[in-house]
Amino acid sequence: MAIQTSSIARPGTADIVPTIPRRNPIVGRLLIYGLILFGASLVLIPFAWMLSTSLTTTSRLFVYPPDLIPNPIAWDNYSKAWTSLPVSFTRFAFNTIFITILAMLAEIFSSSIVAYGFARYKFPGRDFLFVVLLGSMMLPGVVLQVPSFLIWRQLGLLDTYDPLTVGAWFAWGPSYIFLLRQFFLTIPVDIDEAARLDGANAFQIYYRIMLPLVKPALLAIGVLSFVGNWNNFSGALIYLNHLEKFPIVLALKFFERNLSNNVPPFNFMMAMATLMTIPMILLYFVAQRYFIEGITVGGVKG
Amino acid sequence: MTGSEPTSWMTDYPSTLIHWVIVGVGIGLVMFGTYWLLRLLGVRTQPATGYALVMPWLLGFVIWNLFPFLASLYLSFTNYNLLQDPKWVGLDNYSRMFNSDPNFWPSIRLTLSYAVLSVPLGMAGSLFTAMLLNQNVKGLGIWRTLYYLPAVLPAAATALLWRWMFNPDSGLINAFLGVLFLPIHLLTGAAAPKPGWFNDENLVLPSFILMSIWGVFGTQTVIMLAGLKNIPQHLYEAAKIDGAGTLTQFRHVTVPMLTPTLFYTLIMAIIGALQTFTAPLFIDTPQEAGIFMQVYIYTQAFTRQKMGYASALAWVLLVIILVLTLVVFRSSSLWVYYEGEIRDDTPKRRRGWPFRRERPALVPLRVADVKERT
Repeated sequence: MAIQTSSIARPGTADIVPTIPRRNPIVGRLLIYGLILFGASLVLIPFAWMLSTSLTTTSRLFVYPPDLIPNPIAWDNYSKAWTSLPVSFTRFAFNTIFITILAMLAEIFSSSIVAYGFARYKFPGRDFLFVVLLGSMMLPGVVLQVPSFLIWRQLGLLDTYDPLTVGAWFAWGPSYIFLLRQFFLTIPVDIDEAARLDGANAFQIYYRIMLPLVKPALLAIGVLSFVGNWNNFSGALIYLNHLEKFPIVLALKFFERNLSNNVPPFNFMMAMATLMTIPMILLYFVAQRYFIEGITVGGVKG
Repeated sequence: MTGSEPTSWMTDYPSTLIHWVIVGVGIGLVMFGTYWLLRLLGVRTQPATGYALVMPWLLGFVIWNLFPFLASLYLSFTNYNLLQDPKWVGLDNYSRMFNSDPNFWPSIRLTLSYAVLSVPLGMAGSLFTAMLLNQNVKGLGIWRTLYYLPAVLPAAATALLWRWMFNPDSGLINAFLGVLFLPIHLLTGAAAPKPGWFNDENLVLPSFILMSIWGVFGTQTVIMLAGLKNIPQHLYEAAKIDGAGTLTQFRHVTVPMLTPTLFYTLIMAIIGALQTFTAPLFIDTPQEAGIFMQVYIYTQAFTRQKMGYASALAWVLLVIILVLTLVVFRSSSLWVYYEGEIRDDTPKRRRGWPFRRERPALVPLRVADVKERT
């Protein structure tokens, strides 16, 4: 019984069984909720601080102790941050959207069609190729960086959006292929057979039948790919030179480097960081539903 | 960093868009051509279609993985500054790195200690949180959403935010410590009562670790929570009937059943930690105290145009990553337990944890992960 009490005192090592602990149920529960709440506040306080700073006037920025709630609230930090660089933030936002959308579409299309091939067709060397694919998942990008740069340089396409978007046609992201393949595997083969008997060719089966069936998975990798490309800093850093062409992340870096020599304008930086993060958070809240849809509907819809 | 003459979106966007469409259509044609060619050569429909469908990846693998991989190895034995052709210098780059580059060893040390410290700490924290959340708490969905939130914050924003949190004069962390009157400087050996965090040579590493834990915490918690939910309840019931207390249940049911998830998280976390790049670029640290390997490689390649030397550095980092991953893989037979084995291999079950297994496999692991989320 001593063990039972200690489980309440130390919920980390506690009872997973879905019954409420028998001893001191209220104290145990309170402790659990207390710890969860504490953890959640540790996670959320930096967010609140980011928002708070983004609304602090420059003169109040370096007072000690810092204002937790900015006074006065400087809403115009956002408009100032928006126009503080020689190029308007609008352009950065459009650059980011442009890169993200093109890369994401190409990624979804190419990885889904490859996954379909791996899941549904037998050909000599398939399993070997699939192992190679899984292996390339572990290959660190470091060693590929310099030669890839040299390839794009050879093609004369440095300082364009091409390296960040066009390459996505070649089924970047082996993990997406892997994930989609798992989904395709859950769909009964009878469906393909029936369609084939009706005279559909491979592409028609893929496009008309398979894709709608794995929609939750497509949305899931769509979200992952969107976030990945939106936040792609290293690619943009290596390939883009003109300020006009920068996505938001890189503009943030430029801002940080050029304006922070004497007094870093953390309020502007936090405002820009917030602006960059808002779409991600919105997407996250919206797409959570798709993830759950994927969980419940799964692949066995057919 | 920035070019001189302005460019207009009227030319920037369309040119890429055109290339994008051309390459997209081109890939389609290549797929069609592959099918047609194979059929012409007498290959049957099934395999011909299969090859055609995996063509985009296969091409991509050869062009963007295999070729760069080999090219990088070759470049690491050369001097190449983009202006002249690569000049073969044998092992010069490597010997320079090991013997005379003052930045190399500090960088290796920082990167390795960062990975070795931040990964287990982050995993222990997220395991603890996942177990808390697994206690039948109300509003699980909300908690999970909240805990995951830092993971959607772009790495750049995270870095800037934490740089500001750790600001010695008016950052939130020091304000908190000031309120609590914690003599943190006695613990850390820092000179001033207000720790300098990223500005203090000795505290750079702990600061990076704290920041990284905040960043990866949510993702790992969600993955581990899914792993915990996957453990069949009947195992706990059986353990209880056998008289197992809570600690015994944790040690003999939860931990072994969770090892595949832990293994997967560990591998991914190590690879990620060793390649930390974005965060350090956004944070100023005292001269040489904060140069991560990946950043060092970037600087050598793209600001100093030493492509050969950068490739050699990249290969050293690759070898480090491979060795660490291999160690984890090898050791996995000692501690990772996969369900299914138990049925094939009943006597070994008596030996208790750690169970042995024949050979590590990443694949079933990922499958399990995907299933949990689906």
